[in-house]
Formats: sequence, structure tokens, C-alpha cells
Amino acid sequence: MLSWVALIVVLMIAGSFFASQQRARGVAQGDLAALHSRPAYHGAYTALWVAIAGFGVLVLGLLLSNIAIRSALFAAIPDSLGPLSQIERDLIVSDGVAIASGEVASRSDAAREAVGARYGTLMMVRNVGLALLTLGAAAFAYMRSSAQISLPFRARNRTEKIVQVLLMVSAAIAILTTIGIVASLLGQTLAFFSDIPITKFLFGTLWSPLSGVHSGSMDPDKVGAIPLFAGTLLITFIAMLVAVPVGLFAAIFLSDFASQRARSIIKPMLEILAGIPTVVYGFFAAITVAPFLRDTGAAVGLTISSESALAAGIVMGIMIIPFISSLSDDVINAVPQSLRDGSYGLGATKAETIRKVILPAALPGIVSAVLLGVSRAIGETMIVVMAAGQGANLTANPFEAVTTVTVQIVALITGDTEAATAAGPAFTLGFTLFCVTLIFNVIALRLVRKYQESYD
Amino acid sequence: MTESNPPLPRAKFQCRGVNVHYATTHAIKDNDIDIYDKSVTSFIGPSGCGKSTFLRCLNRMNDTIEICRVTGDIRLDDVDIYGSDIDPVQLRARVGMVFQKPNPFPKSIFDNVAYGPRIHGLAENRADLDAMVESSLRSAGLWDEVKDRLSSSGTGLSGGQQQRLCIARAIATQPEVLLMDEPCSALDPIATEIVEELISSLGETYCVVIVTHSMQQANRISERTAFFHLGELVEYETTHNIFNTPKDDRTIGYVSGRFG
Amino acid sequence: MTEISMTPAPSIHTGEAAKARLKKRHNAEKRLRAYGIIAISLAALALMALLYNIFARAVNVRTEHYITIAADIAEDENDFLKVVKSAAKEAFPFASGRTQRRQVYGLFSDGAADDMRNAAGAGTLETGESVERRFLLSDDVDLYLRGTFGAPEERDAQGSLTVTEDGKKILLESTAADFNAAVGVVKAGLAAQAERLREEAGRQTAGVDALTTRLPSLEGPELEDTKAQIEGFQAKRAQLLAQADALDATVTAQDSGRMKLTNRMPSFFVRANGGILKLTEVSNTTALAKPLVPSDGTQTGAWSLFSLDRPETGRPVKDFQVALIENLRAKDRIEAVTNWRFFTSSDSTQPEIAGIYGALIGSMWTMLVTFSLAFPIGVMAAIYLEEFAPRNRWTDFIEVNINNLAAVPSIVFGLLGLAVFLHFFGVPRSSPLAGGLVLALMTLPTIIIASRASIRAVPPSIRSAALGLGASKVQTTFHHVLPLAMPGILTGTIIGMAQALGETAPLLMIGMVAFITAVPEGVTDSATVLPVQVFNWANASERAFDMRTAAAIAVLLGFLVVMNMLAIILRKRFERRW
Repeated sequence: MLSWVALIVVLMIAGSFFASQQRARGVAQGDLAALHSRPAYHGAYTALWVAIAGFGVLVLGLLLSNIAIRSALFAAIPDSLGPLSQIERDLIVSDGVAIASGEVASRSDAAREAVGARYGTLMMVRNVGLALLTLGAAAFAYMRSSAQISLPFRARNRTEKIVQVLLMVSAAIAILTTIGIVASLLGQTLAFFSDIPITKFLFGTLWSPLSGVHSGSMDPDKVGAIPLFAGTLLITFIAMLVAVPVGLFAAIFLSDFASQRARSIIKPMLEILAGIPTVVYGFFAAITVAPFLRDTGAAVGLTISSESALAAGIVMGIMIIPFISSLSDDVINAVPQSLRDGSYGLGATKAETIRKVILPAALPGIVSAVLLGVSRAIGETMIVVMAAGQGANLTANPFEAVTTVTVQIVALITGDTEAATAAGPAFTLGFTLFCVTLIFNVIALRLVRKYQESYD
Repeated sequence: MTESNPPLPRAKFQCRGVNVHYATTHAIKDNDIDIYDKSVTSFIGPSGCGKSTFLRCLNRMNDTIEICRVTGDIRLDDVDIYGSDIDPVQLRARVGMVFQKPNPFPKSIFDNVAYGPRIHGLAENRADLDAMVESSLRSAGLWDEVKDRLSSSGTGLSGGQQQRLCIARAIATQPEVLLMDEPCSALDPIATEIVEELISSLGETYCVVIVTHSMQQANRISERTAFFHLGELVEYETTHNIFNTPKDDRTIGYVSGRFG
Repeated sequence: MTEISMTPAPSIHTGEAAKARLKKRHNAEKRLRAYGIIAISLAALALMALLYNIFARAVNVRTEHYITIAADIAEDENDFLKVVKSAAKEAFPFASGRTQRRQVYGLFSDGAADDMRNAAGAGTLETGESVERRFLLSDDVDLYLRGTFGAPEERDAQGSLTVTEDGKKILLESTAADFNAAVGVVKAGLAAQAERLREEAGRQTAGVDALTTRLPSLEGPELEDTKAQIEGFQAKRAQLLAQADALDATVTAQDSGRMKLTNRMPSFFVRANGGILKLTEVSNTTALAKPLVPSDGTQTGAWSLFSLDRPETGRPVKDFQVALIENLRAKDRIEAVTNWRFFTSSDSTQPEIAGIYGALIGSMWTMLVTFSLAFPIGVMAAIYLEEFAPRNRWTDFIEVNINNLAAVPSIVFGLLGLAVFLHFFGVPRSSPLAGGLVLALMTLPTIIIASRASIRAVPPSIRSAALGLGASKVQTTFHHVLPLAMPGILTGTIIGMAQALGETAPLLMIGMVAFITAVPEGVTDSATVLPVQVFNWANASERAFDMRTAAAIAVLLGFLVVMNMLAIILRKRFERRW
């Protein structure tokens, strides 16, 4: 029903544009120069207001009513059921909604039927009300704004003002996103730490948050994230061991040794490597690299787990190679030619020029590339989900299976446990991840900014 | 400079039929020139006349440009520097270069000057190296200004100091020839004066070749001057003769300021 | 003002020492160059290995296998599973017992019944008695036919065969040593068994030694117990060694009589008189065999053997099924047909009928949402930041923010979507709307950064010209700057969309990982997307999903290649150097 309303609003926008344009022409009585703004601006002014009013009311109404209906449904749970945990209440509400919309509910009883019925009526009221409100708002906006059409009306300036505000709002979405991330992660994290001391999380060595969980309370001794941090670190370290030398030497070769022709082949190859989705790398790690390592290990008498940190780390390293090489290539190329000339002019070889002049000069940029690479490795999810282990195993042995922060987030969120229970540790891990990568990113971006300034 | 012709030392460079092509552009057209040791030689001419390109042929700096092709015969002490057995790295150690824009490495002043001796293994030990750095900086007239801050960054010096640092760096490598590509064009008049004095004095020891935009500068510091126009070496004479009795119409036009 | 303290010594750069040094320096340069080449070769090798591994698997999906048998299909049939069953019973009447019958049904895919149902729905189903019809084979049979479990090795028979019935078994006698290979296999099996027994005996010895060292420190009943234990170990060891010796004796004996072929050893089959038998006991010239496919009555006298190296216990396709398949294959009743199903069907628990259609449509809806949000907002934000924003701390903050967002792990965006869109705003779980919203936020920084670069590249002279003619700032931007920057903006947008198309992790957070067989009809239906489909199949245990995962990846990569090509063409075509 509401999608029809949206369609009608779109039609109204188009209609109001043409109507106002026509009306402006009529006001001008053939002498268009008498109008302050051209008729199209009068049209656009009206149409913009109709769009803002119509869609504003529709979207805002949807969001607010969803929240309101949800709390109303919780209130609709009969008191006769006695005190219920949050999880049970969630379940009753979602089953009620399922019953009302004709889907399969996990269980059906009187309480759920009641919630379902309540949901049906509320949705009905909401849809009709919102439809009327939306169309009314759009119509009102049309009448208000088209009434303003006159010869001296500065429609163009008004339209441009609106456009500028819309542009600013768009730019602000970036900030809203950051606020949204921090707020959503922080809320759950704080709730999690209200039950569990932060030191247990940061320094505990046993991670098994969902074992023996009864109605949302966790054993503080089983949420030690050290094994996850260690696993993440181990895999990241292996990845950087692969990516940094390969990426850096490739960048050096590309910028100072490769002919134009070689560059035109190698650069696209690295770009392909960069464009491959991580889920594909994960498949490659799980089905090719891990068995290969296991068999090779067995042949030389090493026990390599089929979910070893080594396999995940190597493939992650391959994924990060193009990242390091293209960023390093950029910063190496940004070293001014005059420095190269200066060195060659003194009779230095290419290798000496690179080692003693270019690399030291490009060092901040290269460090920043490596930091961004590390941040990427820490936050990478699919490769480790598909190729690393699930068990929180505290070890530095790359041949064993370890788990990472991202693997545990995925396991918690997509697992069978009630969402409300799993959210605590999952969002806390997410917040930790966000903070750590943020620190790396900020340092890296600072470095690269300073570097750019020094050669601008 | 003296009014009369200076005594001719031996020719350090003998160039015959030199041509340079950039992809499709013919940048240097069949030039012959002899450049003499222990003197300062100036290359002058309007922008884009090929004087810098020609200078860069003398230590094969053009090798670093992929599309550049040099033909003809350039001899340093009677040896063809484009011969197959010539190592450009070794050549550039003998023929040092100073560039238009001061380009100190982002390292300490000491490391800048020590760069050449280090890569070429000229110093036996640290004391040796210290001595070389000091004498090079002294030769470049920079020692007194920087002796207390040798470990601070070379990029922190003023423009004139930076250029003298680059000259000191070139001298430290102990070259036989010093090529200078408009070394003063990025400097203010006072710094220019200091560097010009330095160049004149270097001409007593080295074979110095300098490309310059400024005719006054060529007049002030060089014994011989070559005038380039559109890739052609138009006239090569003692500086005095070039500026006072030029023969070619193009030279007359240029030195009298009618074009360029 | 200067003193010249150094006179250049001409030999300093040309002397012998300098030459030796120079050689070293050039070697260092060659080394550095070699490192570069090695690095790039490694990257290229990794790329090749990855692509080869995927495409070598993916090509298997181009066909699927069918069997042609007769079926009775009534005009108004609606239980097509029953049709398949009775046709199977009809085609293999000799299958006896529950196991064999189950194995017969196991040849067929559920897709066989689906096909008939679809054909009936479309009115193209041929009905009647004994209609010859193609039935889709199950995933395991499909894998067998592709040789995943090893191809049958054909062996021509040398001698002529005499067949005598011996109770339930059949005795085969050849005039030549045709069963030699089978005997070899049995002997190898026995030798391996003997080896295992000896290892076990070795462990007993170790136990004896360990206990013996403890003897002196023991006394009383403990001492007696330990002694008894030692004797027990010793007896066990003697028994094991005797068994091993007996086995070895059998192996080395010239003629050790008939020996048993167990189901842990390679399987041997004999084709004779139109039937197929499985060897159970062999000597060089004689064998006992179990009939799997009965003779069709022909008495040609020609016969042959074939064997499968992988033991029956190690493969899902059993010997009886192998016999049925090989029998029909010889009669050209099994064919490989181009597999369109992979593109026209949605996800399924059965690999042979699973396809990517649902995921493709899901991806399409998701991308639609992402594009219609990220593109306008991204371009508008870029315009604001480049053209209208005052240079102050506020815009600086936005800029830092955008750069940081570009580097935030994608899974964090997933958590944001879960908390804000799903829980707070009530967007339907696992819907393209939720996925599109999350991906739009993720793609925004890419689009904004690319758009800003492109807008910045438009020279100020164009702005001055337009402003000079009396255009307003907004007009200048939208009429002159934006059209000129558009190719660059579109290139950035396509690259951002390509990233979004391959993104998986955040979608797992908002429930797109659910098993969904329905094709989504709108942005609020439950859906899955291509990369998540890849993830789900990669996690599935059925082996036949391997090649489908690879094929889905190939399709995904295909889309990405097309999108990136488009971006490159756009950039080449409209690139302007100011």
C-alpha cells in the first residue's frame, strides 16, 4: 500500500513541476522577461517542496511508527504470562508478527495470537494514517508554494537555497554514519561491560561466551578475548610477511625498473588481484591453499591443521599485495624527479638511489601503506571465516587453527543463539575492532597527509 | 674576465656530430664543440634551445629518460663516453652535475655531502670522510655557516645555501668535470652573487660547464660561451668575442636583447 | 672567499679498486631488480593459481547428466516422485532387497520429478505408457560420471571364459591369467595388513619394555599383577606376529588358492554376456563373482574386465550402482546435456538442481537500492565539499570522517545495519533493502572521494567563464562543472558498485545468509546475493557444490570484469587532460 503512496508522490512531484511552470507562464502573460526567474525554476521550486514534504513525512512516519508499533506489541503481551525475560518477549512478538503476516511462527498460542491480532490492527491504522498524512502534506506543500508564484518571486534563488541545503545534508550523512556506528556499537558494548568487568574481557584467556549461558547472563571467566586478539595478530603478521616484501619490491620494480610496456601489463594484473572479492579468496584458501599446505606438511613430516593460521594468512597476504604495491607505487612516484637526478648525477646506481634516497624519502608514505594494510588485515572477515578455525586456541604456532575477532563476530551473529544474548559479545568485539582499525587509519592518513604536504 | 683570449688548456670534451631525439622531436642538431679543462664554459640561448639537453648528454643523464636517443661522438679525454664499455655510473662520478632547482636529499647536511664518497667508497674511515665533508663544504663556501649543525636536515637551509650544499655534494665525489644546469635561476640576487663567485673559483680547478639564462652571468663568470638556438650550436667563442663581436645574426639578435 | 683544497685525481674513479667496487655495486642493482621480478612473479603465480583453480572447477557445471528410461505417465498425473520410482523399478527389475532398491532410487535426482512437474505445468509433458524420457541423475552419479571417484580402468581379457553357477555365486574360469591384477591387489592389501599387525606388535613390545623397567621397584601383589600383564602383552604380540607371518606367507606363495576381495580394496567387475558381475574371490585363473546386472541372454563369449581403484567404502556410488551405470553407459542411455538449470533455478539443498538465479535477482535488487542511494548522495556530498563548503574545521572534520569511513572494516557496517536498520527502524531482515542500505553507506566514501577528485580536475577557468556570464553558483556547478566531471564520477561509481557487488561480510550480519529458495520480487522480500550464495555453497558438505561454488564465482567475476571494463572504457573515452 505504501509503495503506491510513494508512486503517487512521485507523480505529484512531476505534476506540480509542470503545473507551476505553466502557472508562471500564465502570470508572465507571454512576456517571460518580466518574470524574475524562468518558469522552470518556479516549477522546480514547487516540485522540490512537494518532494521534501511528501517523502519527508513518508520516511519519517515509517521510522517512527515502526518504533511505536514495536513498543505497543510488547505492551500487548498478556500480563497473565507472569514475568518474562527479554528474549522470551522478543520471541513472542516476532511470532505474533509472523502469524499476522501469514508466515511460519515457531509456536502458536493465545498470547501470540493476541499479539498478532494487535499487530494487524496497528498496521492497518498505520498504513491508512500514513498514506493520508503523506498525501496531505504533499498537497499542502504544493498549494503553499505555488501560491507564491508571481512576477517578482525569486524562485531561482529560493530553489538554489534548497539545493544547497540538500547538498549539505548529503555531506552530513558521512558524519551521521560515523555517529551511527559509534552509537550502535557503544550502546551494546556498555551494556555488556555492565555485567562483565572490562579487564576480564581484555585480559582473560578463555573465550567461550555462550557455553552455559542461561537467560542472558554470562560467565565472566569465559569471555577473555586474548585468544582472539592473538589469533588475529598471528594471521595479520603472516599476511604482512607475505604482502609487505612482495608488494614493496613489486612497487620498486614498477616505479624504477619496469619499462612502459611491462608496466602496462603488470599494473592491470595487480588491479585484477585487488578487484577479486574476499569471498573468492576465502574459497581459494579453504579449498586449495589449506589442503595443499596440509599435504605438503604431511609429506615433510609436519602436522599442519586444515584450518591453519598459515593458509588464511598467506591468502590474506596475497589479497593485500596489490594494496601495498599500489599505495607504495604512488608514494615512490611522488618522490620528485629532482632527487633522483641529484643522485644519478653523483654517479649513484639505480639500486643506491632507491635504497639511500627514494626509500628514505618515501618512508612515511610506505609506513602509512603498511598501516592501512594491517588495518585491512585485522578487519578482513571472509577469508578467515572460510579458512581459519572457530575454536579459541591460544597459540603462536602458525600450523594450528586459530580464530579471530571477525570470525567470532560472524559466529555469534549468524549462530543459533538468541540474538539478544549474542549481541553483547559480538558488538563489543565489533567496537574493539572499530577502535583498533580507527587508530591505524588515523595514524596512516596523518602520515600520508604530512608526506603529501612535504612534496606539494 | 680578461679582455684578451685566455690561454687554451687541453680540450676535456670533444663533441662531433651530436644529435638528440626525443620520440619524434629533433632536440639537438648535429653539434660540434670542444670544452676545455680548468675553465668555465657557458651555454646560453633562448628557452627550449637545447642547451640543457646538450649538457645532460655530457654525463649521460639523458639515459634515464626512456624516449631519449643520443647519436654522434662525445669524447671525454679522448674516450667515447657512449662507447659500449663505458659505465654511465662511473662516468657520472667523473662528470658531476648540479641542477636548476636545489635538490638536497631529505637527509642531514653531513649525509648529503658524504653521499658521493660513501657510494663510491672514497673514504677509508670515518676521519677520512669527515675531512672530505669539511673540505667540500669549505670549497663550496658553506662550512662556516653549517659547521655547527651538520646533523640537521639539508632541506632546512635557505635556497642559496641549499644550492651550495648541492655543489659541495658534487665536489665531494671528486669529479673532473662539473656540469651546472642554471644553478642560480631559483636563487635570489644575493645568493646568486655568492654562487657565481664560487663557480668562478671552481673554474680554476675543474672543467666547469654552466647553462644559464642570464647573459650577464655568462659574461661575468665564463671564459668561453656557446650560443644555442633551436637545437643548433650557432656560435662558440670566447665570452668576450661573443658579447662584443658576435658574427652570426641570431647571436647578434640574442645578445642585443632583440629576442629570447 | 673559497679555498680549493682538493685537486681531482683522474684515476680515483677509473682505477682498479673503483672498478672492482663498481662491479659489486652493479650486482647489488641486479639483485634488487631480481627481487622485483620475483615479487611480481609471485603475485602473478598467485593470481594464476586462483583463477585456474576456480575455472577448472567451474567448467564442470556446463553439463548435467541424464538417463533415458521408459516411464508410464498418466494424463492427470500429479505425484511425479512416484512416476520416477516406478520407472526406476521398471528399468531395473532385478534389484532385489531394500539396499539395492534404495541404491536404484539413489541414482535419480529430485530434479527428475521437478522437470516433469514443470513440463506438465507448461503443457509440454509427453504422457502415455512406456514413454522414453530423460531423467536427471543425482549429484553423486554426476560426479562419478565426471571421474571424481576415479575412472573405471578397462582391461581386455586374454583367455576364454567358462561360467558355472555355484549356488548364489558364479564361478568364472579363464584359460589365461586374467585375474592376475585382482590377485595383485589382494596381495598388496594383505601385505599392508601384515604391516599393520607388525606395527601393533611393536606397540606391545614397547608396553612390555616399559613394564619391565618398573619391575625392580615393585613387590607383593603389584609385582605379580605386572608380571601377568607382561605375559599378556607377550602372548598378544606372539599372536599378532603369527597372523602377520601367515598373511605374508599367503602373499609370497606361488599359488595360494582363491583369496577374498574385500570392500576396502579396489573393485573388479567382469562384463560377460551382456551382464556385469563383481569379483569377490580370485586366484590367477579363477574367480568367484556376484552378479549385479543379470545377463541379457546374449552368448557372445567375448568378455572383459574393468576395475575402480577407489574401494567401495571410500565413495558414495556403490558397486551395484557402478554396474548399473556402466551397463547403461555402454548402451548409450546416459548423456551429458548443456546445463541451463544452473542459471534458471534458485538455491537448493540438492546440488544438482541448485542454481544462481535467485541470488542474481537478489543482487540486482540490492545493487538497485545501493545505487539509487549512494550515487545521488555521494555526488551531492562531493559537490558540496568541493564547490560550496567553506574551508573550515567543520569541512575538515567531514573530510577526515569520509577518509576514515573508507577504511572501516566492512563487518562493522554490517553491525551498524543490524543495530540501526534492522532493530531500530524495523527494516525487514535479509531483504535487499537492508543489504542495499548497508552497502550504500559502505560505497559512499568511494564515490565521494572519486567524485571530488573528478570535480577538482575541472579547471577554474570554466567556473570563471560561467560566473562571468551571470550564471549563479548553483547553475555553474550543475550546468558546467558537473557534466564535465561526470565521466570521472561514473567511473568511481562503477568501481564502488563493483566493490559492493562482491561484498559479503556485512550482509552476513543482516541475515542474508539464510537459506532462501524463492526468487525475491521486491526490495523487502527475503533474498540472498551472489557472493553470499558463494559463501553458503562453499560451506556445504556435498562435494558437488564445489564446482557450483566455482561456477558462481566465475559468474561473479564475469560481472566484475564487465563493470571494470566499462569503467576503463569510460575513462579512456572521456578522459580529458586540462
